[in-house]
Amino acid sequence: MNDRLIYLDNAATTFPKPREVLDKMLETYIRVGVSPGRGSYDLAMQVEDIVEEARKKLARFFGAPDPNRVVFTANATDALNLAFSGLLQPGDHVITTRLEHNSVLRPLHHFLERGWITCDHVPFDCKGFVDPNEILRCIKPNTRVVVVTHASNVLGTVQPVEEIGRLCAGRGIPLIIDASQSAGKIPIDMMALQASAVVFTGHKAFYGPTGTGGLVIHPELDIKASRFGGTGVDSKSLVHTPSYPHRLEPGTINLMGIIGLSAGIDYITQKGLAAIHRQEMTLLRRLRDGLSDLKHVDMYCADDLSNHVAVLSTNVNGVNPADVGDILDGDYHIAVRVGLHCAPLVHHDLGTINGGSVRFSLGIFNTQEDVDQAIKAMASMRSQS
Amino acid sequence: MIDSEEHQKLVSDLGRQPRFIAGREIYLDWEGFFWDPADWNEEVAKILARESGIEVLTETHWKILRFFREYYSCHGRAPMNRHLKEGAGISLKEIGALFTEGIRLGARRLAGLPNPKSCF
Repeated sequence: MNDRLIYLDNAATTFPKPREVLDKMLETYIRVGVSPGRGSYDLAMQVEDIVEEARKKLARFFGAPDPNRVVFTANATDALNLAFSGLLQPGDHVITTRLEHNSVLRPLHHFLERGWITCDHVPFDCKGFVDPNEILRCIKPNTRVVVVTHASNVLGTVQPVEEIGRLCAGRGIPLIIDASQSAGKIPIDMMALQASAVVFTGHKAFYGPTGTGGLVIHPELDIKASRFGGTGVDSKSLVHTPSYPHRLEPGTINLMGIIGLSAGIDYITQKGLAAIHRQEMTLLRRLRDGLSDLKHVDMYCADDLSNHVAVLSTNVNGVNPADVGDILDGDYHIAVRVGLHCAPLVHHDLGTINGGSVRFSLGIFNTQEDVDQAIKAMASMRSQS
Repeated sequence: MIDSEEHQKLVSDLGRQPRFIAGREIYLDWEGFFWDPADWNEEVAKILARESGIEVLTETHWKILRFFREYYSCHGRAPMNRHLKEGAGISLKEIGALFTEGIRLGARRLAGLPNPKSCF
């Protein structure tokens, strides 16, 4: 067995983090780790500049016109909750898809089961894509928002958000894109996509630490505050600060995380998104092709990888996905994610709701050797099935 | 829309159900895992094994089940994969092949350990 861990769970979180990112976090935090945006001494101003630079960097990355509308959150789930809580009113209708992660499904379900909203979950086709016209057909006079994952965390399929954005914009309905699996892998220009908000996480393809994420908001979309507290601004008022980003950022932000997120963006920008994506997709094709030779392995929505990120869901005939994960880990030192991937509706529609699947997800540090070892390990399970 | 049956399935709890096994009332979850590992004994394991298609538990089966039990008793959780492999003295693949329902639903369940808290 290979002593080195072959980490193929990058859709959960990328690992390892680049040394440059970790060094930058530590070095900067040691030097300027004070409370940003609160004090008037030089160091506080200096660290505030670091945070503002991170906002500008993210605004540039997402093609957002106003860096003040880049709001830092604890993660993508937190950002989605913030958006839903600040947008939805009783009687609103929401359109989303059956590809969504529980980070979308569960907050909406919370509103739905209390009778506050109605919701349509648009299906995906046999190739793993949502038809924008299906979204169009669901639009009602009270449709408040459309929420769509950019890339499925189970199938890796990249959704036609440009077309969805065009349809939404034409009807004045805000589109929120959940870019948890795409930000850092493929370019996202929120103006070109006509998105009203983009949700991102810092610890996946941005190669930052966990505990980071955010919401990038178009200037024409207003999201009400749903959490209140200290912002370091206009402290004598008991009314929560209405201006962005403070409106949606009560309390001291995760400075060390933001330093890491910012360094992660520098890291992938230097490598080049296109180059990273090309490298990962080359490996994914090799994995897909290798597994396709194995009669006992099923793959989902992997025939055409042209609109994909480097995520591949599989199953071994006759073997519980959890056991496949245990065998890959214990016998071959390969880490993958098994189960439902927090996306139950996808697995319901794939017919895999009872055990889920075995998901391989590649990152910048994976090699051809890693992929070949994974294929070899999957091949060895033939006798079990 | 999500239909009501699907909704019920998605939001339902783990389905705690009582069963009489070897003359005792034992609570199992929707996948047949024990709610309380203390309800386990060898007689119960033999009955559950027969239900899963294993007529006789061999010494190798017992070695694995006992390792699960001892590890859980000492650490309060199931063994990590590498510890299971070391403790059983065989590969995970071989453990999976020994139990008709595999490692998780077979060995772990028959050892009376609770359902793992993973995204299943």
